[in-house]
Amino acid sequence: MYILGIETSCDETASAVVLDGRVMASNVVASQIDLHAQYGGVFPELASRAHVEQIAPVVQQAISDAAITPDQIDAIAVTQGPGLVGSLLVGVNYAKGLSLASGKPLIGVNHLEGHIYSLWLTQPFKEPEFPVVVLIVSGGHTELLLMTGYNDYTRLGGTLDDAAGEAFDKVGRLLELPFPGGPNIENAAQMGNPSAFNFPRALRGNHYDFSFSGLKTAVMREVTVQPSAAARRQRGAEKKAQLRADVSINDVAASFQEALAEALVEKTVRAARKHNATEIFMAGGVSANGRLRALMKRESSLPVRYPPLNLCTDNAAMIAAAAYYRHADAIREGTLESDFALDVRALWPLGGDGRR
Amino acid sequence: MAILNADELDIISHSAEQTMRLGSRLGALLQAGDVVCLSGDMGAGKTVFTAGIGQGWGARNPVTSPTYNLIHQHERARDDLKLYHLDCYRLRDANDAETIGLDDILEGEGVIVFEWPERIASALPDARLWVELRVTDVTRRNLIFSGQGARYKDLIVALREKAYGV
Repeated sequence: MYILGIETSCDETASAVVLDGRVMASNVVASQIDLHAQYGGVFPELASRAHVEQIAPVVQQAISDAAITPDQIDAIAVTQGPGLVGSLLVGVNYAKGLSLASGKPLIGVNHLEGHIYSLWLTQPFKEPEFPVVVLIVSGGHTELLLMTGYNDYTRLGGTLDDAAGEAFDKVGRLLELPFPGGPNIENAAQMGNPSAFNFPRALRGNHYDFSFSGLKTAVMREVTVQPSAAARRQRGAEKKAQLRADVSINDVAASFQEALAEALVEKTVRAARKHNATEIFMAGGVSANGRLRALMKRESSLPVRYPPLNLCTDNAAMIAAAAYYRHADAIREGTLESDFALDVRALWPLGGDGRR
Repeated sequence: MAILNADELDIISHSAEQTMRLGSRLGALLQAGDVVCLSGDMGAGKTVFTAGIGQGWGARNPVTSPTYNLIHQHERARDDLKLYHLDCYRLRDANDAETIGLDDILEGEGVIVFEWPERIASALPDARLWVELRVTDVTRRNLIFSGQGARYKDLIVALREKAYGV
């Protein structure tokens, strides 16, 4: 069964064809990183416009790379949320059009669930024994879930303020490193001393929630000089903090990365132990971080899975895979009805406990 | 306490917890249609202050950073009122504000909190509460409240009573 996936929840226009939820026949990602780098972050209006320009050629290429004809596609899966509304709309509307024109069923997919199924596309694949603990860490999300079966999740915790990837981006900006913050901080950290600064690990306790806003502020405190009292008293004067010249960017980057990774690892490992998980799964852009991977493996006796780099970041193959595991039976039986009223969902918790 | 300007409220917060409590006091006073603009650098405590507003207002779910999604919409048990929490950092100008549906939100009955309001200055309503958060020390923040329009001048008087009992 071939499923065509479409993903436009943030700044990547992506499309892919996946065979039976496991084999990537094609995986096309048109990244907007260069476009947004000049502005130091993802800008929503720019992102929507770029999606509009790229969506048709990207989907075309996904189909031709897969060496199939459009007829062979069994269903069309599209990211319905969570994400930027303007960006999501481009993908959802395009998918609706394709579905209407071709008569193939349309499936709305949760982006977070997609990230989990990136592990089903990771070779070699071994069928997991549930329960497993899943850590999804990306620019917009930090979620700790218990997966007790296919499509069966319980949310254990998440960030109370900034997402992990957001903390990377904001600290990157503080350190005047180029966008995106994640890989640039990781590079700088390789040349730095992770124990140079003792940044807070934050939120000790029995729960599984994270907080990275205090960590960001602690970094700011170390690396910036505040404007003088006189300057502050003056209305409209330059109040922005300046980067200190005598601080090693590499040491700060390494110490920040260490604090953030330790906080993620401590709670994930504790959750896995408490819930008798057989494995730890990591997914999302921040799971590409080498230090996080190494620390997770060091601190847990359980096997740790994470996707290859090209599947950590946003892609459409994971969306097609997630759709397969939810709807394969209905597609096969021809009972899956397309929901053309399908609307985007900016906020859409997975395994939610009603929060957020 | 010396009041230098009757229309302004100038408060020093010594910790994130205190900033949150101040937000909570403000949150309890907010009514349908109120607009609160939070201006300050990264790390000044805008999201912490908003988390307090959410608490005092009665938001069902904790307030988290809206940087990624741009807008978070909160609800409370008491009534159908909404609390909108916007991060304008990634908007370039007032035109961008239109594309995220700001007009609809402003026309609605919700309470609106803006972070980085300067980015969309011309799209902001004239009547609003403006809160400037300044970093003065490691944990210390200076919060300066000023209001434009009768409603916000009243709000500042009410907040002063709550914060100082005068």
